[in-house]
Amino acid sequence: MPKRQSGNRKSKQSNFAKLSIFQNNKYKFKKNCPLSIKGAPKIDYKNIKLLKRYVTENGKILPSRVTNVSQKKQRELSLSIKRARNLALL
Amino acid sequence: MNLYEHTIIARQDTSPSEIKQLTEKYSKIVEKNDGEVVKTENWGLLNLSYLIKKNKKGSYIHFKIKGKGSVIDELEKNESIDKKLLRFLTVRVKKFDLETNYFAKKDESEIKESVKN
Repeated sequence: MPKRQSGNRKSKQSNFAKLSIFQNNKYKFKKNCPLSIKGAPKIDYKNIKLLKRYVTENGKILPSRVTNVSQKKQRELSLSIKRARNLALL
Repeated sequence: MNLYEHTIIARQDTSPSEIKQLTEKYSKIVEKNDGEVVKTENWGLLNLSYLIKKNKKGSYIHFKIKGKGSVIDELEKNESIDKKLLRFLTVRVKKFDLETNYFAKKDESEIKESVKN
């Protein structure tokens, strides 16, 4: 029972935090990295379909703060995007 | 021994027979230098996303090579002279991905996806 109580309290807290201006980073709407989940596609310079999602219409690389990609995956992404550019695929 | 993925882009006006010659020529160079061509893929004529030497399209040939670094040196030396080619790219990989072919014909890829589902 105490477990349930704490859970309830937590949800209330987080709801409140989302409304507040002085919100903590912890309670912000946080998405997970889309490329770190299980079964996520492998980043590869040949997989243009995937890479196209992470560049703008002008072909610029999107920042990870927009796409929520983790640091490690962002490094891989940028490298493979640059390779694809060299091959005139992107 | 290292594993390499090697892609070359030929001019748009190369005929299919010439492309065959090119693949043979470069796989011979690989074999001369104690290398081994594990797989070759012909991606066909693809649209370039920007002009390269006034070419709008290019035919892509993809090799998967097992060998020492000297193989790649020799390959790139010959390719930089070759006037039929537009670009080449070599990437060292830890493991070959032999199953997925991102540039297969559409029907084949759809069949593959349906099998997976």
